[in-house]
Amino acid sequence: MFSNYEFRLIITVVIIGIATGMGFVVKAQLTPDSFGTYGHYRADAIDEEILRPIRHGTNTSCLKCHPYEAAIHLKGRHQTISCEFCHGTYADHVDNGKKIGTLPVKKNTEITTLCLRCHNTEIKARSQAVIKTVAMPEHLESQKVKVTHTCNQCHHVHAPLKYINRAKQITGITESES
Amino acid sequence: MSGFHEGSAMLLSNFVLPNDLHVHWSMMIVLYPYITGLVDGAFIIAALYYLFDVKSLKPVARFSLLFALAFLCCATLPLLLHLGRPERNLNMLLTPSPSSAMAGFGYIYAVSMGVLGFIVLFVYRADLVKLKQHSRGIMKLIYRLLTFDCDDLSPRAMALDDRIIKILVGLGIPVAAFLHGYVGFIFGGVKANPTWATPLMPVIFLFSACVSGIAAIVLAYIVIRKFTGKFIDGPCIITCIKTLTGFFILAFSFEMLEVFSHSYLKSGYHHMVEGLLNGPLATSFWLWQVKICSGIPLVLLAIMAFIKLQQPRYNLLAAGVSAILLLQVFIMRWNVVIGGQLMSKSARGYTVFHPEWFDKEGILAVIVVMLIPFVILFILGKIFPFWTEEQNG
Amino acid sequence: MKIEQAPPQLDRRAFIQKVLTGSVTGSLLLIYPMGGGDALDMLQPSTIPNIPEQIPGIRDEEYDIHERKFAFIVDITRCIGCGSCCVADKREYNVPDGNYRTWVERYIKDFDDQVYVDCPNGGLDGYQTPRTDIDAPVRDTFFVPKLCNMCKEAPCVQVCPVGATFTTPDGFVLMDSDRCVGCGYCIQACPYSSRFLNPITHTAEKCTWCYHRVRKGLLPACVEVCPTGARKFGSLKDETSEVYKILKGPGVLTVLKESMGTWPALYYLGARLEVI
Repeated sequence: MFSNYEFRLIITVVIIGIATGMGFVVKAQLTPDSFGTYGHYRADAIDEEILRPIRHGTNTSCLKCHPYEAAIHLKGRHQTISCEFCHGTYADHVDNGKKIGTLPVKKNTEITTLCLRCHNTEIKARSQAVIKTVAMPEHLESQKVKVTHTCNQCHHVHAPLKYINRAKQITGITESES
Repeated sequence: MSGFHEGSAMLLSNFVLPNDLHVHWSMMIVLYPYITGLVDGAFIIAALYYLFDVKSLKPVARFSLLFALAFLCCATLPLLLHLGRPERNLNMLLTPSPSSAMAGFGYIYAVSMGVLGFIVLFVYRADLVKLKQHSRGIMKLIYRLLTFDCDDLSPRAMALDDRIIKILVGLGIPVAAFLHGYVGFIFGGVKANPTWATPLMPVIFLFSACVSGIAAIVLAYIVIRKFTGKFIDGPCIITCIKTLTGFFILAFSFEMLEVFSHSYLKSGYHHMVEGLLNGPLATSFWLWQVKICSGIPLVLLAIMAFIKLQQPRYNLLAAGVSAILLLQVFIMRWNVVIGGQLMSKSARGYTVFHPEWFDKEGILAVIVVMLIPFVILFILGKIFPFWTEEQNG
Repeated sequence: MKIEQAPPQLDRRAFIQKVLTGSVTGSLLLIYPMGGGDALDMLQPSTIPNIPEQIPGIRDEEYDIHERKFAFIVDITRCIGCGSCCVADKREYNVPDGNYRTWVERYIKDFDDQVYVDCPNGGLDGYQTPRTDIDAPVRDTFFVPKLCNMCKEAPCVQVCPVGATFTTPDGFVLMDSDRCVGCGYCIQACPYSSRFLNPITHTAEKCTWCYHRVRKGLLPACVEVCPTGARKFGSLKDETSEVYKILKGPGVLTVLKESMGTWPALYYLGARLEVI
């Protein structure tokens, strides 16, 4: 019926078919178990993403252990600024309730640079309704302050108007211009 | 889209989105369509002979099959060099996403390797049987495997072989079309990139692939025959050049239609695409791809079509045109792949691409990857002779 | 602007007690093997840093991934370009230099409707100096924060060949870094340029709206640190949330590149024509 040659060709086709079938079996075995639960992806990847370590806390987590700063910060204009932006992440400081490192505190001209990052009036994109901006050194000159002064010599960094308002109370001088 | 009425020429600030500065798809991704294109074009020549019975192509039919096979063997190499995690490449076979054009690669490649491999085996079966009878040891074992361990060369068997070849080549044409067409769709399906997103992309890629493959066969045939001191079959070259002309006119027309219709419609971000072609890509697109590498071949092909030339002169022109067209297709791939990424998604600026020499996707790697198929071709030539005795004169 | 609630008064004894409890719990966690348990076991309150919930309703209920929806709104009128969001994001994920999960762009318009955009270092240093290279008088300037748009029909998900990026049932487009082969197709497909190839892991990466924080009831890091409330995030199941009220109200919300048909879940309040 079939010649020797034709027979061998049929065997070849059958072998290819079997190999392909086995290939699909191997494919099913090697595909991860959670694949396809919600869609064409490994559902375990969602759980793995949830396990990513959290590095930032919130201001509440910082202020829980720093009540002195809390009392000042929460009453000032800077209450919406994240402690971690200036000082570093929670995860670098506390782990499992224990202190594991000291966070840096900005000093001197570092403070001025940091303040001007938001409060520089030269960047015209800042709406006065959102934030009050000043130009340096005009701001210092207009307040009759030495131009080498850093911002924190008049403004408390955590509550910038704390000393200003107190000074106004004491001296009776009201705001002229900024 | 308002705020653009002045057009890109008036924009004074070049703004590239921060994540757009780096060109992610580099020279290896230029090379991959080029290689699969060569496979397709070479396969077209073989298909014209084996399926459509174009007798004048007999001298290059077997050679083009081997040429296609040699390049197909190397098709995964540029991709593996490009992947960030090449050790995970099997993921493409294990969990291919049905909505991703790129996911088709594993299976399409496997099928085309199978089809082309078997075509070669059936075409060369008679030669392999004879070689088996003259060999011993490990070579004999290899030949036994390659001939299905059967010596049957009877007319019935040969007729069966012819039918099988015809069926496989007929199957091979859509497979080859997918092999390269899906690459075109990888680009054509990216709506985020205005230079890539067009339904014409797979078509342009396929036609220029045929151009590159046929040109490669013509050039390789002429060069190898010249260096081995054998004669060059005139009618064969003429048929190849005629086919080449047809495909090239189609490819070039579609390429220019693409640019022209976008320029006319002026829709979407087209002013940025115009800015790209007239700016960073002015030299490589207008000067090299269009004027030099398309303009000159059009003139030469016209000469070869309308003026009666002596065969040696014709062959020389054929080799020259083929070399230029091989360059044209490479530059076209470069302009599409790398040029397309130069335009930032901000629609306000262009980034730059600096080819490295020693990167895994660098210039040296490109040269090596392009040389390997020729090494494979050389080895294949030792097992499957390129030309039959009668063709060697 | 978000206002923090004052923490309860802590005296020294209570403080030491808290620290000791934390240390004991922590040491116990070291002794008991962590493996084998469900990932959801990790969500027990004792293992989360002692931070109160910011998104109401996430922690106390069983999290039904199919029922949850969140919204992220960027208010351009309130962004001051301080770059706190960029810094926080970089710190939260250790993002390699030169790559950005989120960034802030500065747009400048002149009186001829010419638009100049820049983004020095992705906004990581904020905007400390004005642009000096523009000759024409400036009409308007504003900042635009950008991040992943969490498209409801994400092109990146469509083109990923191996299923390494996907949309969760609760609407987040996430990455499976163990599956990604680093082909870069998703990076090409994203119309917003939100994605990049991590040079260390050689896999693709992008902003995830801090999914790991949201699932624990915390706000994304960038929203957390934004001092002016330019970034807003909330659960749409919580009717008291700011985002719910904005989405319910008549305000004009836009999305980026709407014509692309990606249906972003990131909304912009106060966006301008010039923003692409």
